[in-house]
Amino acid sequence: MNNKKVISFILGLMCVLLTYGIVVQVKTINSTGTTTSTNAKANELKDAVLKAKEKYDNLYRELEQAEKNLEEERANATQNNSELSELENSIKEANKALGLTEVTGKGIEIVLDDNNKIPLNSWALDPNILIVHDTDIMTVVNELKNSGAEAISINDQRIVTTSAIECDGNVIKINGVKIGAPFEIKAIGLQEVLINVNKVGGYLNYLKEDRFLEVSINKVDEIKIPKYTGVMKFEYAESK
Amino acid sequence: MKIKINKEKTVMAIAIGISCFALMLVMFMQFKVVRQTNITEIETMRESELRAELTSWQEKYKEINERYQEITNTISQYQNESESDQQTAQLLEKELEQLNLALGKTDVEGQGIIIALTDNEGKQIDDRLVDRIYPEDLLLVVNALFGAGAEAISINDQRIIAMSDISSIGDVFLRVNSERISSPYIIKAIGDITYLQSAILGKGGCIDQLKEAGHDATVTEGRRIEIEKYNKTIRTDHID
Repeated sequence: MNNKKVISFILGLMCVLLTYGIVVQVKTINSTGTTTSTNAKANELKDAVLKAKEKYDNLYRELEQAEKNLEEERANATQNNSELSELENSIKEANKALGLTEVTGKGIEIVLDDNNKIPLNSWALDPNILIVHDTDIMTVVNELKNSGAEAISINDQRIVTTSAIECDGNVIKINGVKIGAPFEIKAIGLQEVLINVNKVGGYLNYLKEDRFLEVSINKVDEIKIPKYTGVMKFEYAESK
Repeated sequence: MKIKINKEKTVMAIAIGISCFALMLVMFMQFKVVRQTNITEIETMRESELRAELTSWQEKYKEINERYQEITNTISQYQNESESDQQTAQLLEKELEQLNLALGKTDVEGQGIIIALTDNEGKQIDDRLVDRIYPEDLLLVVNALFGAGAEAISINDQRIIAMSDISSIGDVFLRVNSERISSPYIIKAIGDITYLQSAILGKGGCIDQLKEAGHDATVTEGRRIEIEKYNKTIRTDHID
C-alpha cells in the first residue's frame, strides 16, 4: 500500500513536469510565430542587394575613369602656363590631403586583435576586456594623429575629416562600412615619431598589458594607403 | 494471488511506459519545431539586415551618381572653355574652392548645434569629487557628431580637420591642433540639427554621460552657426 502511494506520487510528479515542459514549448513556439514565406523573400532580397551592389560597382568604375579624365583635362588646360599649373598643383595637393587619392610613404603598421587565446569559461573578469572596441580604435587613431600621421587607414578605410568610428552590434563601422577584427591600422608620417605610440604609458601598451589584446607594431618603409571611396558632400555648410 | 498482482503490475508498467513514450515523442517533436523556428527567426533578422544593406547601396549609388555628373560636367567645361587662360583659371579656382571647403580651409556657416561643456573638476557631488574632462570625452562627442553627418566641427574655434588630434597638457588644459584650450569647451557643429541632436542627446549618450560625471552641458541649436577655418598649413610632406 505504502509502496503504491510512493509510485503514484512519483508518477504524478513526472506527469506534472512533462506537462510543464510541453506548455513551455508550446508557448515558445507561439511567441516566435510561424513564418513560412521568409525564405523566398530573403532570397529575393539577397538578389536585390547583389544587383544594387553591382550597379554601384559599375558606376564607381566609371567615376574613377572620369576622375582620371578630369585630371588629364586639367593638365592639358594648364600645361603652358606656370600660374595655371601652380593652381593645378594646389588641387592635387588638396586631393592628397583630403584622402581622395591613394598615397604611399614610410610609416608604421599596427595590427590589433581580440584575445582569442584565453578561454572565456576560465575568465572571471568582464569578457569585454578581451575584445577590441570602437573606442579603442578611436583612441589609437587619435594617438597616431598626435604623432604626426598624415594619412591613416583601418582595414583599408581611409580616415578623412568626417570619418566616424561606430559600433554596430558586434561589428565596427568606419565610413559607414562594416569591418571586423583583426584591425590593420596603417599610418604614414615621420616613422621615428609615429613609433612613439609604442611607448610605455601609451594606449597600445595598455591594450597589450592590461587588456591582453594581440598588438603588433611595425615600421614599414613602403606603405600604401587607399583613397576614400565615399563622397564628400556639403548640404549645410557654406563657405563665407 | 502472486501471479495476479504481477499481471496487474505489468499492465500498469506497460501503460505507464507507453504514456511516457508518447509524452517524450511529443516533446521531441516540439523541440524540433522550436529549433526550426529559431532558424527562421535568424532568417527574419537577416531580412531586416538585408533591407538596410539594400538601402545603403542604393543611397551610395545616388551619391556617386551625383559626383559622376559633377565631374563629367567639369570635364566638358575644361574642354569648352580652355580657349582662354582666364576661363581656365576661373575653373581651377572654382574646383579649389570646393576642395578647400572640404579641407576646412574656409570659414563656413550653416545650421547646426552648439554644445557648451563646463569642467566641474574638484566639485563635491554627494560624497565624491568630480573628475576632469578628458580628451576621450571630447573625442566621443566629435565622433558622434561626424557619425550623424556633421560637415564641419570646431572646439573653442579650433577647426577639426582630418588629422586633428585632441590630447591633454598637464592636468588642466587640453590641446587641439597643437593649440591649448580650456573649459568651457564650446563645440560647434554644422549639419542636420535633428540628426546631430539625436546622436548626442538621450539616455546613455555622450552628453548624458558627461552630466552624469558631474559636468555642466548645454546644447543649443542655431540656423546660422559660424565655424572658423583651420589656420595652419596642412602637412603632406611624407605622403606621395
